[in-house]
Amino acid sequence: MSFQHGFPLSRRGFLAGACCAAGASILTPVSFAAMPGDNRFVTIILRGAMDGLDFVQPYGDPAYAALRPKLGLRPDTGLIDLDGFFGLNPAASALMPLWQAGELSFVHAVSTPYRDQRSHFDGQDMLETGGNGKGERTGWLNRTLAVIPRSNARKAIDINTSMELILSGPNEADSWSSQSNFALAEDEIAFLDRLYAGDPAFAKAMEEAKKTDISADSLYADGKRGAGIADMARLAGGMLREDYRIASFSINGWDTHVGQQGQFRKAVGDLSTAILTLKAALGEDAWKKTAVLAMTEFGRTARENGTNGTDHGTGGLAVLAGGAIPGGKVLGKWPGLSEDKLLDRRDLMPTGDVREVAAAMLYRQFGIEPDTLTAKVFPGLSFDTSSAYLRG
Amino acid sequence: MALPTPTLAAIRYGYGLRPGEEPPRDVEALLGQIEEGASGKPRFPREGIAGRLDTATRVVSLLAAEAKARRAGNPNEDVRKATQSEARRIYRQDAMARLAQAIHSPLGFYERLASFWVDHFSTSVMKSLPMRMIVPLYEAQAIRPNLGGSFTKLLSTAILHPAMLIYLDQDQSVGPDSVAARKNGRGLNENLGRELLELHTLGAGSGYTQEDVRASALILTGLSVDNRAMQVVYQPRFAEAGPVNLLGRIYRDDEGDGQDHVLMLEDLAANPKTAQHICGKLVRHFIADDAPEEMVAAMVAAWTKSRGDLTEVYRAMLAHPRAWSDPGRKIKQPFEFVVSGFRALDLPERNFGNLLRDMDDGDEDESPVQKAMDLTGMAAREDTKKKAGRANALTLGALQRMGQPIWQPPSPAGFADETSVWLTPSQLSERISWSRMVARIFGQKMEPSVFLQAALADAAHPETSRIIAQAPNKVHGITMVLASPEFNRR
Repeated sequence: MSFQHGFPLSRRGFLAGACCAAGASILTPVSFAAMPGDNRFVTIILRGAMDGLDFVQPYGDPAYAALRPKLGLRPDTGLIDLDGFFGLNPAASALMPLWQAGELSFVHAVSTPYRDQRSHFDGQDMLETGGNGKGERTGWLNRTLAVIPRSNARKAIDINTSMELILSGPNEADSWSSQSNFALAEDEIAFLDRLYAGDPAFAKAMEEAKKTDISADSLYADGKRGAGIADMARLAGGMLREDYRIASFSINGWDTHVGQQGQFRKAVGDLSTAILTLKAALGEDAWKKTAVLAMTEFGRTARENGTNGTDHGTGGLAVLAGGAIPGGKVLGKWPGLSEDKLLDRRDLMPTGDVREVAAAMLYRQFGIEPDTLTAKVFPGLSFDTSSAYLRG
Repeated sequence: MALPTPTLAAIRYGYGLRPGEEPPRDVEALLGQIEEGASGKPRFPREGIAGRLDTATRVVSLLAAEAKARRAGNPNEDVRKATQSEARRIYRQDAMARLAQAIHSPLGFYERLASFWVDHFSTSVMKSLPMRMIVPLYEAQAIRPNLGGSFTKLLSTAILHPAMLIYLDQDQSVGPDSVAARKNGRGLNENLGRELLELHTLGAGSGYTQEDVRASALILTGLSVDNRAMQVVYQPRFAEAGPVNLLGRIYRDDEGDGQDHVLMLEDLAANPKTAQHICGKLVRHFIADDAPEEMVAAMVAAWTKSRGDLTEVYRAMLAHPRAWSDPGRKIKQPFEFVVSGFRALDLPERNFGNLLRDMDDGDEDESPVQKAMDLTGMAAREDTKKKAGRANALTLGALQRMGQPIWQPPSPAGFADETSVWLTPSQLSERISWSRMVARIFGQKMEPSVFLQAALADAAHPETSRIIAQAPNKVHGITMVLASPEFNRR
């Protein structure tokens, strides 16, 4: 499995221009001596393929407004300017204090090596197995456990009712859930509506179920949407404050084919809640040692579609947060949105491998050697200490 | 849409498809299950029939002794509580075993018939504490071995079982002119007499009168339960003396041999109204709420010709063209839904043992994350019971929430069988919830399209296949397979 289109994977440059004008280090060089073995790493999988162009909008790109007449915003229509080129979706405004504190970064135009097939499930598996092909049944985070230099830093938890693929494998990891029944995300409800569209009796029951309180309780869990997300994040934070060093959980709701605006707002709200709750649960000291990587299986089409949504695409966005990252940057090599720059004239061209971002985090947080990372955790990945995601 | 026979046979006449299990090829394959099933040994009662009789009588004796001590002013709360919790534990194990039986048995049609007849001759564990142990025994002893033979035999084994006599208060009934009534003033209880006519044989609206109800109750007098042996006994002292007229036949005073109720059951079983009632009920259960009349007529004819041989009645049903057309008219009842869901998931049998163990271990606190929970202010006590709660939520609790707890029918009429009852907003949201829960726990690594094929084969609509293939994530894909109209209809 390799990247196509001639983009080398490592030694990636990143966006020139205003976003990087400060010229500050992207990620400070890892100091092993200073690493006390209690750094933390959290992965959040954004299930459904998050639209990175909506989250961090390239309003400075000349082609953007035409591609996104409805979804696209500008600073004068509510977009929160980040660096003069990119702006943050206002639904994520709660995260701005982190951005200002240098505890939040975004990596644009990244993806897994998954291409063209547009199967959601294969794409997800690729993200979780680390791109090892369809047959791989162990997750890269699980394989990581075996190569962390310090054995006392290996406890890992998956906040889920059962182990997700990313932490599945031969190495011991715990799995726990804050509640047995999470709420359905907006996109899941929309899919159920489609599922019942051909059966009037089911369609009617579903319509009424969404309206009635009792039914809504079981569809939305406790009637409090988002409560499950905060619980998960609080639990992860609590575990990491103890002797756990790695945690993983998922946030659903990103498959936005129809009526993206409202649905995206909810999903972004969930992610904001998760990150802020993690920070609160970790406490100041642990947060300082924590890196959070939120990533998604693939991006969405650059153009909005005919139903005020977007379809499955390729290049996406990763979110980095935590006191251990020198944030406040939009990273990545921006490919541009003019038609000839799009992949298949359709998708944001991936210019970076999201696995490299993950590898950089593992190197940073745990001092895992690049050779080990490319041999055991992400086979096939090019990664060394000259990675753009490590350069100062 | 006509489905090829094997898929429809598994979905309409069984508990659905299970990977690796050959669906029934034809009518003979379905009918062949009956003898095999009837001669088999169910997974409940857990100690077997003889063992359960021992356990039940022991528990009844303990409860009686405690009650006696209480009356004497020496109550022993501990004994009572321990006995209660033992009975509840036994019930839970049996209920889980019944679920496992339906899931793992390759004899789906036989299992469905067992559920049909247990419901037809409803008894409930909620009647009393000993009934927690007796109802499973009743299904194993009275219903399962007899559901393929003559209806007369099935009727008499069902009615003349301690579970039925206790459930419908026959053990309390005394003939008004009997020796016992003259002595202690107890009287007639018409409960079993009424349900026998209304539910078990002739059917409501078939023309019998209140006089017939009373006559039937009078004929049943004398029947009672010896609690210490957990056996039906005939007590001449309770029996009404003198002739009783039921539906034009005189049942003689039989204070000596107590055979009048046997004759009555034979007569009721042979009554043409009984054949009509039960054939209609079978068709409404298996085919559609508005039973096709010509199908019922064919079954009644088979009933008459074979003098109530139930296998011949089933054969007539399955031989009718309507048996294989127009699928999806019925909604699976909750038990069928849950069983067929687990079947499609193809869980190894040990998973059920694990679930049961989780339930029993519910009180233990050995959570590795307790400290973190406490630290973050989560409700610790609740979370320690999470696993037990989850095991229950997947199985017995799910059936409770969906309105069909095992061996707990709402009335002697059993559970509702109409489509409208099981296709409501709250029912649907419960099913979606359950689907989501099992998908999260067991389906994370399954490919939704593969699961769809395993669960529905060619019964899945192309549009459903398309939607499932596009699901936002695997768990939701699996959820949608289970929550789909095709999976919930049959």
